[in-house]
Amino acid sequence: MFKYLISILLSPKSTWEKVANMPKDSADLGMIYSVLLALIPSAAFYYGTTQVGWTVGDGLPTKLTAESANRMIPLFYFAQVGAIFGIGWFIHWMSETYGADSSLTKGIRIAGLTATPLFLSGAIGVLPQLMVNFTVGIIAVSWSTYLLYIGIPRVMRIPEERGFLFSSAIIAVCLVAIVVILGASVILWDMGAAPAFTD
Amino acid sequence: MSHTPIEHPEYSMDVVKKFAIMTVVWGIVGMFVGVFIAAELVWPDINMHLQWFHFGRLRPLHTNAVIFAFGGCALMATSLYIVQRTCYARLISDKLASFVFWGWQLVILAAAITLPLGYTSSKEYAELEWPIDILITIVWVAYAVLFFGTIAKRKTSHIYVANWFFGAFIVTVAVLHLVNSAALPAGMWKSYSMYAGATDAMIQWWYGHNAVGFFLTAGFLGMMYYFVPKQAERPVYSYRLSIVHFWALVGVYIWAGPHHLHYTALPDWTQSLGMIMSLILLAPSWGGMINGMMTLSGAWHKLRTDPILRFLVVSLSFYGMSTFEGPMMSIKTVNAMSHYTDWTIGHVHSGALGWVAMISIGSIYHLIPVLFNKEKMYSTNLINVHFWMSTIGTVLYIAALWVNGILQGLMWRAYNADGTLTYSFVESVEASYPGYIVRFIGGAIFLGGMFLMAYNVWKTIQSEDKASDTLVVKGAA
Repeated sequence: MFKYLISILLSPKSTWEKVANMPKDSADLGMIYSVLLALIPSAAFYYGTTQVGWTVGDGLPTKLTAESANRMIPLFYFAQVGAIFGIGWFIHWMSETYGADSSLTKGIRIAGLTATPLFLSGAIGVLPQLMVNFTVGIIAVSWSTYLLYIGIPRVMRIPEERGFLFSSAIIAVCLVAIVVILGASVILWDMGAAPAFTD
Repeated sequence: MSHTPIEHPEYSMDVVKKFAIMTVVWGIVGMFVGVFIAAELVWPDINMHLQWFHFGRLRPLHTNAVIFAFGGCALMATSLYIVQRTCYARLISDKLASFVFWGWQLVILAAAITLPLGYTSSKEYAELEWPIDILITIVWVAYAVLFFGTIAKRKTSHIYVANWFFGAFIVTVAVLHLVNSAALPAGMWKSYSMYAGATDAMIQWWYGHNAVGFFLTAGFLGMMYYFVPKQAERPVYSYRLSIVHFWALVGVYIWAGPHHLHYTALPDWTQSLGMIMSLILLAPSWGGMINGMMTLSGAWHKLRTDPILRFLVVSLSFYGMSTFEGPMMSIKTVNAMSHYTDWTIGHVHSGALGWVAMISIGSIYHLIPVLFNKEKMYSTNLINVHFWMSTIGTVLYIAALWVNGILQGLMWRAYNADGTLTYSFVESVEASYPGYIVRFIGGAIFLGGMFLMAYNVWKTIQSEDKASDTLVVKGAA
């Protein structure tokens, strides 16, 4: 699975073909792809928010206290992994509607691989400046969306037009997942995991 | 679904044509004002320091233009078309239809003049002053008579579900308008609300939320229940579900308004009731979305060649997303952070651009060739480009405002160990700047798509080809 880490970025179409040929139920490293890759953004943002900090206007840099980051970064990590597994489950769940042959493993594998640009770009967290993160984030999101749209018809072996609809349905699920994470974050902040800033 | 050609009266399509064209025109005007005020947030000086172009005066012009001019014309065009086609009956009166059209345009014109001049009742989405409110009432009653009159003389025994949604929209908007706009005039362009204090606020948001629920949802669901099956050439997935959807939606929506007034002077139990009702509302909303999606889901082969269908699919996705987001934002804990931030505006636009505008655009693309007796739209490619511009524009817009909303919510509530606020308000404005730029770009892309649509519509109407075969009247769905 990890051999696809680079090839999905460089030659996505042939990589998706290879992923399509993987045995659909083998519980291989594909399952822990996101478990490991999600460490990149988590570590980067831990360092960035506690050590580097960010500035608004011409004020002094704001940082998170280590105590607050210790609470928030694990939640951030689990949100990423949870989202990948959740979206993977939805991909598998919807596959029947779109006439594709799938398994839970396959769904999670697709979700994880699609998110590769997002995981890697998370390294920008060491520099938590809003504008920088925003720009890198938009590029990564566009890249992942592209991977999804070209990937689904290939990896699911379904016609292009049905793949288009399937991909759009996955995007809708992703948007709902974002909203779930937004809402859950706010509720968790209220329950004690709120950010605390250094003075 | 019957394919047998049947005897039908010559339908009255003149008014539908006019409304369909004006949908495109007002769409461009309303969205242009929106992009302009988005630009004002990035470059404040482009108001040229003229009071008429101030954000505070143009913002209600934008909301009124897109909701009542663009959305209103789309609803009137489609409802007056659908009611004839599904009832096998001609509109009861062409004169009345003409009155509704010109009356509604007059309302829009009056809004476009008075709002920049600063005449406002200050009620959100009901800013127009009392003389215009009276005009709205007269036009609306005429519209109701036209619509229900046509239903009354239908030649089918059944009233198709789309008409139920349009009917609920017409009746409820009439009630909302009459109650909320009740005011004591103090001169020609000034009036005071009949209600005071928290009651006034509650009436306002009972109106405001149901403007969303009945103007921007029920009516457009009527559109969905006609054009989605029509364009996919498949029957509604579950007609029973559509009936359950209808009663559940109209029964629950009306109670959700108090979630706009969390943590205000409104009694606490009222706020909690509004929150609970908003959460329940998820069920009928998703029921409707699933019904639409499942209707489309057998039409795979058409998607490659049919960008209109893509508009309809994506509009349903955004409907699903925003009707999930809405209940979640009504949870008091979430609202404590999201309220008054850009997240709210982002949420509104995922509904307004993603759902309302896209389903209207798809429906108008379906309607124009039918109305003007052409084979198809002038350019399918342009529709495709328009589709991508709309989707990308909407996603940029809402993503930018999610970021801004979370940022503002966090900054406003951040405090230091000694209890002082970490940020001043203006620092949160400064931090919102990148988001405002992206929002402006997203909105501009969406507006650009509307210009393509206008060109495409113009060329279609101008073109010489006629539809080859004569109109075959199909059954309702």
